[in-house]
Amino acid sequence: MLLVAFLFLFIPSASSFSMRQVTQLAITLSLSLTSFLLLLLAVFLGGTSLWKDMERRYSHSVLGGTPISRTSYILGKYFGVSMFVMLTALLLGILSSVSIWYTATAYPPDSQLLWLNILFAVFFDALKYVLLVAVAFLLSTVSTSFFLPIFGTITIFLASSATQEVYNYLQTDQGSQVSAGIKSTALFFYYILPNFSAFDLKANAIYSLPLDPGVLLLTFCYGVVYITILLTSASLLFARRELL
Amino acid sequence: MKSVVVLATSIAFYTALLIPFTRHLQEKPFLEKVGYVPQPFIIKAMVGDQKNSVAAGLMFRVLVYFGTLVEKNKINSVSLPDDSAMRATLVTASRLDPYNMDTYYFAQSLIWDGKKVRETTELLEYGMRFRDWDFYLPFFAGFNSAFFLKDYAAAATHYATAARLSGSDLFSRLASRYMHEADQTQVAIDYLAAMIKSSRNEAIKKSFEVRHAALLETRRIELARDRFRVMFGHLPASIDELYKQGLLTGPVTDPYGGKFYLEPDGAVRSTSKFAAKPEKTD
Repeated sequence: MLLVAFLFLFIPSASSFSMRQVTQLAITLSLSLTSFLLLLLAVFLGGTSLWKDMERRYSHSVLGGTPISRTSYILGKYFGVSMFVMLTALLLGILSSVSIWYTATAYPPDSQLLWLNILFAVFFDALKYVLLVAVAFLLSTVSTSFFLPIFGTITIFLASSATQEVYNYLQTDQGSQVSAGIKSTALFFYYILPNFSAFDLKANAIYSLPLDPGVLLLTFCYGVVYITILLTSASLLFARRELL
Repeated sequence: MKSVVVLATSIAFYTALLIPFTRHLQEKPFLEKVGYVPQPFIIKAMVGDQKNSVAAGLMFRVLVYFGTLVEKNKINSVSLPDDSAMRATLVTASRLDPYNMDTYYFAQSLIWDGKKVRETTELLEYGMRFRDWDFYLPFFAGFNSAFFLKDYAAAATHYATAARLSGSDLFSRLASRYMHEADQTQVAIDYLAAMIKSSRNEAIKKSFEVRHAALLETRRIELARDRFRVMFGHLPASIDELYKQGLLTGPVTDPYGGKFYLEPDGAVRSTSKFAAKPEKTD
């Protein structure tokens, strides 16, 4: 954690390299660092938490020796990891705010800083990674090693971050020349994978662009519903899993 | 015991290698080229939600490269080394983060060789679709359209947008001046003065200041030439005639190291073409 705090210390000086938007660069770097650290947490904590318990037979002991159901067990584990991700996001958000505040004091920005936008950007980032933890849990329930939960989660993260770009590309003149098969496959993944671009509010935070409360509510509901589907599926699969 | 010996030997080898290794790296030419940057679409698909920071990283890369050129006095030369890659990187950065002002500002600072002005203006127009509150982009685009492209109608439109966004009548005046195709040197001086005032990067500021000084000298000669024409009804044959008539006082100095002269149509030019001579390398 000290190392992380140390990285945030560098942000004001790194931002001074910007020619026209020092504070905006500080926000960019702070939010990017926050997002990257949350990604690492979500992938490695989400991908190994359940698998490690099964590998060390903790799950077997807990589920065999106590009246806890498998669903309660998996939900408990998930909410524990999610809470940790959320609390880390809160801490990183505070560190980001200090770094941004310091930079904005030293290099006052041309436009007004919207702290609420920064808060929302961190919150929706955290929500995105909580969703990713649910993906990792789902993969953990069907995997016998950590490869699928870790690398599967990373793959889904990258694909889910790119689906909106692919969809936008398909709407262009160039995209219309793509074969029908590829287009159908792309559209299938566009609707089936979580759309992470919706949770990315960095541009709104960095450039003080207005946020639409209706869209925020819609994105929040989308995230909650998607997490519910993933956890329900994970619970169903885990209930049928043979624990040795 | 074996492990300790292996560890100690490894540390000894490491220490022995460290000095020549770091010396080699220190002597290696710093960032010789900007290098290849993949298409924005590919980068967007690969970097997830880190588009803004990757765009900032690309900008930093170009800026460091440009700073190295300034140090070696290679800017403003007829051909800028790795110019195409530098501009392609800026376009990529703008597609990754279309709100990033550094990209447009830096692209605009590269147009003084008169090349790729149309591409730069298109980049600015792309930025205007996103930064619709920022008067700088139409200000830059207006200048490019008028000064380089001689497209006065486009210049007037851009300056009118800049005037609307900034609330400043400076841009309205600039627009009207360009609409009448008048006083281009003075407008360039005004433009550079504004750029110097708002510039934070020392390398870019320096390049603006040198050109500003060159244009001030050009303007001084132009004003003397115009007075000569009013007095005698024809253009002076040379700058010396202006001195002889007392219309020009003090030496005129080209900060790029050239010598000023008059074209047959009266246009003031310099033998340097306002381009710095590249530093000689052995």
